[in-house]
Amino acid sequence: MNKKMLALMSSFVVVAACSNNSDTAKEESTQTKAAVVEKTCGKVTIAEMNWSSAALMANVDQFILKHGYDCDAQLVTGDTMPTGTSMIEKGEPDIAPEMWSNSLRDALDKGVAEKRLRYAGDSLSDGGEEAFWVPKYLTDEYPELATIEGVKKHVKMFKHPEDPEKSMFMGCPAGWNCQISAANLYRALDLKESGFDLVDPGSGAALSGAIAKAYERREAWFGYYWAPTSVLGKYKMTKVDFGTGIDEKHYMECISKEDCAEPKVTMYPPSSVQTVTTESFAANSPEAYQYFTKRSFKNSRMNDLLAWMEDNQADGKIAAEHFLKTSRDIWSQWVTADIASKIDAAIAKQ
Amino acid sequence: MSWLTEFPELSRETLVAIRKSLDNSYREFSREYGESIELFFDPLLAFLVWFEKLLLGTPWWLMIGIIALITHLAARSWRLTIGVIIALFLIGFFGMWENTMRTLSIITVSTMLSILIGIPVGILMARSDRTQMLVTPILDVMQTMPAFVYLIPVVMLLGIGKIPGLIAVIIYAIPPVIRLTNLGIRLVDKEVLEAAVSYGISPWQKLWNVQLPLALPNIMAGINQTIMMALAMVVIASMIGVAGLGQPVLRSITNQYFALGLLNGLAIVVLAIIFDRVSQGYAKRSQKYLGGRE
Repeated sequence: MNKKMLALMSSFVVVAACSNNSDTAKEESTQTKAAVVEKTCGKVTIAEMNWSSAALMANVDQFILKHGYDCDAQLVTGDTMPTGTSMIEKGEPDIAPEMWSNSLRDALDKGVAEKRLRYAGDSLSDGGEEAFWVPKYLTDEYPELATIEGVKKHVKMFKHPEDPEKSMFMGCPAGWNCQISAANLYRALDLKESGFDLVDPGSGAALSGAIAKAYERREAWFGYYWAPTSVLGKYKMTKVDFGTGIDEKHYMECISKEDCAEPKVTMYPPSSVQTVTTESFAANSPEAYQYFTKRSFKNSRMNDLLAWMEDNQADGKIAAEHFLKTSRDIWSQWVTADIASKIDAAIAKQ
Repeated sequence: MSWLTEFPELSRETLVAIRKSLDNSYREFSREYGESIELFFDPLLAFLVWFEKLLLGTPWWLMIGIIALITHLAARSWRLTIGVIIALFLIGFFGMWENTMRTLSIITVSTMLSILIGIPVGILMARSDRTQMLVTPILDVMQTMPAFVYLIPVVMLLGIGKIPGLIAVIIYAIPPVIRLTNLGIRLVDKEVLEAAVSYGISPWQKLWNVQLPLALPNIMAGINQTIMMALAMVVIASMIGVAGLGQPVLRSITNQYFALGLLNGLAIVVLAIIFDRVSQGYAKRSQKYLGGRE
């Protein structure tokens, strides 16, 4: 009874303090006291990765943790590799909302085995979609380009930027995990023998810039990309079918490994995109952790959201507001009814 | 009275509208003129590709010999020449020969272009205060604007690869040679100039025979800085698809392969040292020949 009273009081103080910024210090001390009594989550850091969907998720998580679970949730900038490594080694930040976990599967699995990390759930329920793509306006004109045989047949169409005798297949930026898989598939598909040169765009920004350039000028382009992304939301592309289906075992054992001796052709299996939290967060704040086990987006919904972000040039914060305001049916399933009403109240104040 | 407590900023909608209309007009521009701009750069691209192929095609021992010879002719120091030979041999021994040649090729071409463009601009700046007033802020922007801000628009215009890389390197590396050419000419003694004019020389002779030679130490310092800054851009350039030593550095950064990063980083340093000693050695000897005037 007493506990509940205090919790109620503390949330009242938080709300009151929100409307009066000069009281921040007082609010913080009260909040810490309440946190001790109530054993809620306290300070939580969320990694805001540097791409749109992850930024959106991080901001949604921050809002919900802050207003639904009374956490002191803060965003820290991150990227897959550095954030993953830091979570395993240092236990910081607490939450990675959208981790493409295949890219550091071994390290993460080890972290989970050593009770440093937990896989809370899937951030994207359909998984990430990797593939080789050609722009849709090309397949509209030449339907056979939707298969790899067709692409090989029209090899001359895909002009190389530096060598008129070769054609360009744009791979994945240096150092990314997909650089290995794309290079192995490039070998398996005999693209070199067909006249394609594997070009390294050097960075994600250059890769999307190259797609934008090709698209704006209706040029031929053939290369690696992934979804859901704002790029594929905005520039419609056709997935090139290898005609083999997915051989997940071979993909995991060979295609995704650097020392793959004899790569065989396979489509990309859906890659798992997970919410990863530190063990200490999961143990200290079981209620908030429950939220992360349920928080999950469908790819179609995410594509719409990303297209909205692109259209409105919105950052993660504004997109999160938009999502929370317009998609109560989705996020209310992630939390209990009373927490949902707390969030409603907070949204109304925005 | 909200403007007292809050900055009177544009509304979000207006800001977004402005940003979007600017972006769209840039897209339209690139759609309209992109191809012709690409065509304009085609000869330069062909030269870059040819030069890279030349460096890659030359046998390694001949290449080391040529670089050692240039070093020796410029610096006249056996110790340095032998050091250069050993360093280059080690680069090849650790499997970085091809990437080093690629980097050498793009850095050489961009330095040449920087000098070719930079010195005339510096001369113009020195001749007119108004030009100086105009050019100085532009140079400030070029040196401080984060590279990716202009790189991605350039990629949208010209695609990835050597030309955007070259443009990025030149934008970042050209300011020192312009600034120091300007400064060097402005620092030439007024009395020396008066004496020269009183002998009745033409303006062209004044520039070519008096001002430039006397400004040479400063100009050489500028060229030296330009080369160093060009090498510093190797990694940034590789982020838009320029092949060379930058790519393994990028790979090592994202994967935490420290040794790979260090080796390739050291190879960039070796190139920098060679360029530096050659240009400085040349500068020193050309100043020695001027020494008589003191």
